[in-house]
Parts: sequence; structure tokens; C-alpha cells
Amino acid sequence: MNRALVLLAAIAVVLAAVLLPLWIGPFYTRVIQLFFFSAGLAVAWNLLGGFAGYWSFGHTVFIGMGAFSAAHIVTRLGPFGDGPLSMVLPILLSGLICGLFAAIIAYPILRLRGIYFAIAMLGVSQVVGELVNNLSWFQGGVGVFLQTPLPAGTAPEDFFYYLFGALLLASILIAVAVRKSRFGYALLSIREDEDTAMMLGVATERYKIMAFVLSAVLVGTLGAVYGYSVGYFTTYTVFRLDFSLNMIVFCLIGGIGTLAGPVIGTAIMLFITQVLLSRFLDIHLLITGAIVVAIILLMPGGIIGALRSWRRPAAGGGAAATETGS
Amino acid sequence: MTLFLQTTLNGLVLGGIYSLAAVGFSLVFGVLGIVNLTHGIFVVAGAYGALVLFAELGIDPLVGIVPIGLALFAVGYVYQRTIIQWAVSRASLVASLVVTFGVAMMARNGLQLVFGPDVHTITPSYSFLSIPLGPLRIDVVRIVALGASLVLLTVLALVLARTHFGRAIRATAQQPLAAELCGLNVKNLHGLTFGLGAAMAGAAGAIIGIVQPFTAASEVAWTLNAFIVVVLGGIGSPAGALVGGLLLGLINAYTAQYVGPSLTQAAMFLVLVLMLLVRPSGLLGNAFGESR
Repeated sequence: MNRALVLLAAIAVVLAAVLLPLWIGPFYTRVIQLFFFSAGLAVAWNLLGGFAGYWSFGHTVFIGMGAFSAAHIVTRLGPFGDGPLSMVLPILLSGLICGLFAAIIAYPILRLRGIYFAIAMLGVSQVVGELVNNLSWFQGGVGVFLQTPLPAGTAPEDFFYYLFGALLLASILIAVAVRKSRFGYALLSIREDEDTAMMLGVATERYKIMAFVLSAVLVGTLGAVYGYSVGYFTTYTVFRLDFSLNMIVFCLIGGIGTLAGPVIGTAIMLFITQVLLSRFLDIHLLITGAIVVAIILLMPGGIIGALRSWRRPAAGGGAAATETGS
Repeated sequence: MTLFLQTTLNGLVLGGIYSLAAVGFSLVFGVLGIVNLTHGIFVVAGAYGALVLFAELGIDPLVGIVPIGLALFAVGYVYQRTIIQWAVSRASLVASLVVTFGVAMMARNGLQLVFGPDVHTITPSYSFLSIPLGPLRIDVVRIVALGASLVLLTVLALVLARTHFGRAIRATAQQPLAAELCGLNVKNLHGLTFGLGAAMAGAAGAIIGIVQPFTAASEVAWTLNAFIVVVLGGIGSPAGALVGGLLLGLINAYTAQYVGPSLTQAAMFLVLVLMLLVRPSGLLGNAFGESR
């Protein structure tokens, strides 16, 4: 596709997103805010799960850790001044704490592969969640407050709409930068065949750890902002199995390992569950499960994969999904 | 000392049930290489089946194991030959993980719609009796549950070790291609193995129903327990499941008694993560070839 055209389209989308809250009501502003948050998570998960092929089933640990870090930083070390700018330091620090934690567990846990890595991450998220819930210092059981210093005259949904929008944009730009760099190609080589990549001189260990930490920092930052947006939360508001699973499902539906896949998948799933089915809360799981099964069976490469193989039928079925062009 | 012995006893009894609940998962994992996230659903479905049979027809849950096992065997066979088979052939083994997860979500939602979100228990006539054992006490239901678990595990071990069917399953687990070249119908055997796993899970569910309260949502815990048991004991063998299950039961009981009842989950997962890192092949049993 034409490079200038893509750039132009991207600018148009960003402009439209900036102006949108002027027309739509608070409900849809909140839905789109949720979309920005979830798509940001999916993009961050995709850095490790999509590019390097390490599917984490416990990424919610970084959401929880980010949110709780921000709350404890503000209540124990704060305040950091007035106005929205006082949020900057707690959010950045929370992201860094998540990155630090990821760096510590990265070496042992990334020695596991495939399903074992996935379940080990699930285990990590459960252990950390239970500790936050049961050790009184963390106050996960009773919950913590995280007040947002809103700028004067701004509705909270508009404020978080722009904040999450900016974070999503940043995540996408980071993902594009990674994908186009040597680092990105190293991750793809790890996904395709880790042993061969190592043999050919790719520093697989280092690149895997870098991807893991980067993904953790992004998710932790989003988690901290999420903490601000809900204002009060307990362990199970932020350490949630369905967060971990949503990241995977969104990527899967759009196309794992592609740049646009996570965003498209999130948009479609949220549109179906939040808008079309908002009145049928008791069969949400049923529908989500059915969509997941149908996507895997009918379009194993997700929507992007299906589009590619439709455009280039010669490339052959699901195989096209694992390639990652622009 | 009495407290320690009582805790140990409770842990072992709990562990026997964990073993039975996990052995089907272990079998499917070892033979088909599939991590079946629907496993917990089979367990909970077995418990609900026992509840319905007991409440509507007055059939004792231990007798109910037979029809429940047969029904879940059929469900498991069909499920493997259709959805799971398609997922593996069209996408990948990892994708089958997600498919089973999707099916589990649907089934949990379905169970919640049918039976409601309430916690259920099955209370046969012997449910409040207990036997003194020196200074210790043990509930009759727990003894019955442990006994039934051990019997079923032994039967399964004998079937796998001594019968033609068992040898065929083990051959398929070792080398699917070679087994097929020797004239075994591997696709059919995969289906049968999966059905067997589902039947064992259903039987475990019927027993769990008389020992513990259950809801549709507890399926997640049973799937995860099965995974931990398999990682502790090693995949693909009833003996491994027994060792892993007993260990998990002991860990659970000791943590609840000496550290804090709210930390059992954390302790179990901590052991899981450490075990994966230190000795990924389990305490006994086959190495996980692809774990690292």
C-alpha cells in the first residue's frame, strides 16, 4: 500500500478520534474509552505473544501491579503537586515497577516454552494477586483509593478518553517501531524457530527479555491509568483472569502477530459485546466463547489473515496469517 | 502432634480426590498433547449429573458414577472427533488450547443458565457420620471418596498396563505415526482416550459433589488443579497423577493449617511455578519434551 496514503489515513483517524467526544454522548465516550484501554493492552500483549510467540496467560498481573503501585505511590509518597500533571510521576513509576518485576522474573520464566510458559504466567498472576489480597500492607482486600486530579471543567469520561487514546497511540507507535526494527525481526525469528535463530547468532535470550519487559511496562502504565479511572479498587478489580484472556482473544480475532490485528479484534469484540449485546448480560460468556471457537475453526489467522489469504489465494490458507507485512 | 497428623490425613484424603480429578487431564495431555481447558467442565458436569440423579431419582452418587461416566465418555468422544480434531488440523495445537477455553466458557454459561449461580451440595444419608481413628477423626464421605478414587485409579492403571486397548493407547502416545503404520486407528484411539479422560473427570465430579460444595464457576479451579497435579507428578500415567494429587492435597492442607487458609491458592501456584522451573518433568514420569 502507498506509504503516504497510510499516513494520511492514520492522521484522519486520529483527528476524528480527537473530535468525536463532541458529538457522541457520555455512554459512547465510555465505550470508546474502554476500547482504547483494551486495544492498548492487546497491542502490548502482542509484542511478546504475537511477535515472539510467547503466549502469556497472566498479563493481568501487570495491570494489577501498575494500579496498586500508583495507589501506594500517591498515598505513601505523594502528593506530587496539583492538577493532572501530578499523575505523570506515579504513572511512569508504576510502569517502571512493572518493568523491573518483569526483568526479575524474565530469565527463569522465559526458559519455559509454549503451554508451559502460558501456564507459568497464569501461576505468577495468581500468586501475586493472592499476596496483594492477603498481605495487609498492600490493602488489596479492603481496597485502595486513587483520586484523579481532573482539570477544571472537564468531565471524567472525556479526560480518560483522551488519556487512554494517547496511550493507545503511543503503544501502536512503539509496536510499529519494534516491528520495523532489527529487534522486531529477531522476535519473529524466535517465533518461527527459536533454536535455529539461536544457532544463527540471534541473541534470543536478550530479545525475549526485552520484549517481555517492554510489554510489561506498557501494560503496567495502562494499569496505573486504569486505577485512576476507576478511583477505588480491590484486588479482584484489577487482577482479573478475564483481562488476561481478553488480550489473547482480541489479538486472536484480529490476527496474532500483525500490527493492526489487535486493534481491529478489540474493536469488533467490544462492538459485539458492549453495543449489540449490552442487554443480554447473562449470555455474554456463551457468545464470547462461541465467537472464539468459530474464529479458530473458520479463520485461524484472524481477520487480517483471512483478508490476506483472500487477496492472495496462492499463498494458501492460514499460512499467510503468520507472515507480517505492512 | 495430633493436629499435624489430622492435617496430614485431611491432606491425603483431599489429595486422593485431586488425583482422580486430574488423571483424565493427564491422559489426554500425555497421549494427544492437548491441554484440555474443558476438563474442569467435565468435573463440574459430573457433579451436576450426580446432583440431578440423586435429587430426581434418588440414586446414590457412587452408583451414579456409571451412567455419568458413560454419558461423559460419549460427549468426550464426539467432542474430540469434531471440534478439537478440526482445531488441531486447521490451526495448531496451541490454538486447541484456546478452542477448549472457548468451549469451557460456553459450557459454564450454559450450566449457569440451567442450574443458576447458586452453590450446590449433594447430601446422601451418610454425609454427617464420622469415624474416630485413635485421636483423629475422619468423615465417612471422605473415606468413601478416597476409596472410590483409589479403586478407579487402579482400574485405569490396569486397563492401561494389561489390555490391548491400553497398549494401543500407550503406543499412540509414544509414536502416533508408527502406531498408525502398525495398523492402529489413531484417530479413533484419540477419540476413545479423550472419552476415557472425560469419563474419569465425570466420575471424580460425582465424588466431589458429596465432599465439597460446587458451582459452575468452580470449573476453572478444577482445570487449574489438574494442571498443577500433572506438573507435580508427570504426565500420562495414573501413578504420576496419584503422586501429584496427594502432594497437592498435602500442600493445600498444610498451608491452610499453618500459614493461612486464604493463602492456599498462592501456595499451590507457587509450587507450580517453582516446579516448572526446577524440574519440569515432574517427580516421576515422562519428560515434557517441548517445555523448553
